[in-house]
Amino acid sequence: MTRIIIALLILVAPFSAQALNVFACEPEWGSLVEEIAGNHVELTVATTALQDPHKLQARPSLIAAARSADLIVCTGADLEIGWLPLLLRRAGNRKIQVGNPGHFLAAEYVRRIEIPKSIDRAQGDVHPQGNPHIHLHPRNIERIANALTDRLAKIDPSNAERYRSNAEFFLNRWNEAQLNWFEKTTELNGMRLVSHHRSFSYLANWLDLDVVATLEPKPGIPASGAQLAKLLEQLTPNPPPGIIRAPFENEKPALWLSERLNVPEIELPYTVGGNEQATDLFTLYDETIRLLGELIK
Amino acid sequence: MNAFEMSIIAPAFLASLLVLSTHVPLGTEVLRRGIIFIDLAIAQVAGLGVIAADTMGWEAQGWMVQIAAVSAALLAALILHWTDRRWPDIQEALIGVVFVLAATASILILAGNPHGGEHLKELLVGQILWVNYDQLLPVGIVSAMVLFAWYWMRDRLRGFGFYALFAFAVTASVQLVGIYLVFACLIIPALSTRHIEARGVRIVCGYGVGILGCLGGLILSVGADLPAGAVIVWSLATFALLFAWLIRPLIRPRDVETS
Repeated sequence: MTRIIIALLILVAPFSAQALNVFACEPEWGSLVEEIAGNHVELTVATTALQDPHKLQARPSLIAAARSADLIVCTGADLEIGWLPLLLRRAGNRKIQVGNPGHFLAAEYVRRIEIPKSIDRAQGDVHPQGNPHIHLHPRNIERIANALTDRLAKIDPSNAERYRSNAEFFLNRWNEAQLNWFEKTTELNGMRLVSHHRSFSYLANWLDLDVVATLEPKPGIPASGAQLAKLLEQLTPNPPPGIIRAPFENEKPALWLSERLNVPEIELPYTVGGNEQATDLFTLYDETIRLLGELIK
Repeated sequence: MNAFEMSIIAPAFLASLLVLSTHVPLGTEVLRRGIIFIDLAIAQVAGLGVIAADTMGWEAQGWMVQIAAVSAALLAALILHWTDRRWPDIQEALIGVVFVLAATASILILAGNPHGGEHLKELLVGQILWVNYDQLLPVGIVSAMVLFAWYWMRDRLRGFGFYALFAFAVTASVQLVGIYLVFACLIIPALSTRHIEARGVRIVCGYGVGILGCLGGLILSVGADLPAGAVIVWSLATFALLFAWLIRPLIRPRDVETS
């Protein structure tokens, strides 16, 4: 009898070995975790591409997932300031609290842009830690992938080798893809654009796009009549080829300007899942580049 | 329901009990006076108070935020009390006007100082699932004081007393559970029990409907994994309808016709 029990235990052991629970705040990090950890982790992604990552509705499953998480992977740089501290407090899970290995903030591993020189509240809903929409620059993804691999290996040493080889495989493909994107995007260099919010600043930085104006002159605050008039006056003599926005951003200001300047208004996927084709980080970049390319055809 | 799910809904359920404790009795009075949207107006003015304090360079933190919010809410209560005596026949319309003025004043102030927007969101869109045990104590104290004033000093507190109590109760509860749930807890139990004449019985039935509605909503929210506040509002409405339908035969027809 004892033998049967031992045999059963041995059989069951591999399945009961707890998979790592990972909680990703945004789809781009969920996708990166999948690349590096494969199906070795139980993954929960808190927001979808169609939701503004600045905001979150509290659902029971999110608290449950945070409570059992071994690792949370979020952007940081104040992007989730409105809900992550509340979620962490409510989860009461020591492993993922600030300062512990289970608390991974992607923004800590990249050089952030648009860090205000002085924190002047009159400048809008500014992030003193710089622009947090960091995932649309391929080199940022590279740095974050490396840091995330180290972190996964530290938390789950028994699978460290697997994480490292997955990461290597991912980064090789990522480098290849970058060469491909580099060729495809030379025609986009210097392209002028209007964007809704500063959601695409890193993309602009990478592809050398010229974001001539944003529809929210101050982030988070709708434009006033005078600001819109100035925008029209500035853009009418030489309209840019298009207006871009993320799926969760209000389309009305973009449509308004699009009609007046007679240029197209397009929705870029912004993150994984932002349109039907953007199913992982590679296709997210492919789609973004394809849509931008269509503007100048 | 396992222990884990219990631990998710327990603080939220306690929060809803605290909110119900004051809002069910206050709701019957709001309904009697026909000033349904007073909670929206008071909450919005409380938010405006915090933004205004922030703009005047008074960077509100912790207790200071609460003081700014309650002061503004009390000021609104004072103004509404005055209009209630001056123009009682248009009181509800004036409450509506106060609401839009407060809401749009915050937009205008925020155009110059967007940072305060975070405070406004914190104040008006409390989410019941984020509630922690340590937040319950201050709200519990406020609720106890409001209830004490309501039951023991009501005769002395007539006019302004009612508006002042309301300012305290709404400012405390809206941060905990958000404006939709505050409105629902105030109006729905009071509505479903409006044909019950005996005051005591009516309040007890109101509490019953409120507690069942909140508990049912929380359980459903865990089962279906939906945002808790919104589910509770629907659950409250369902239990209220059910209750009103069940007690219909018990109400004498005369009461129904004259009410």
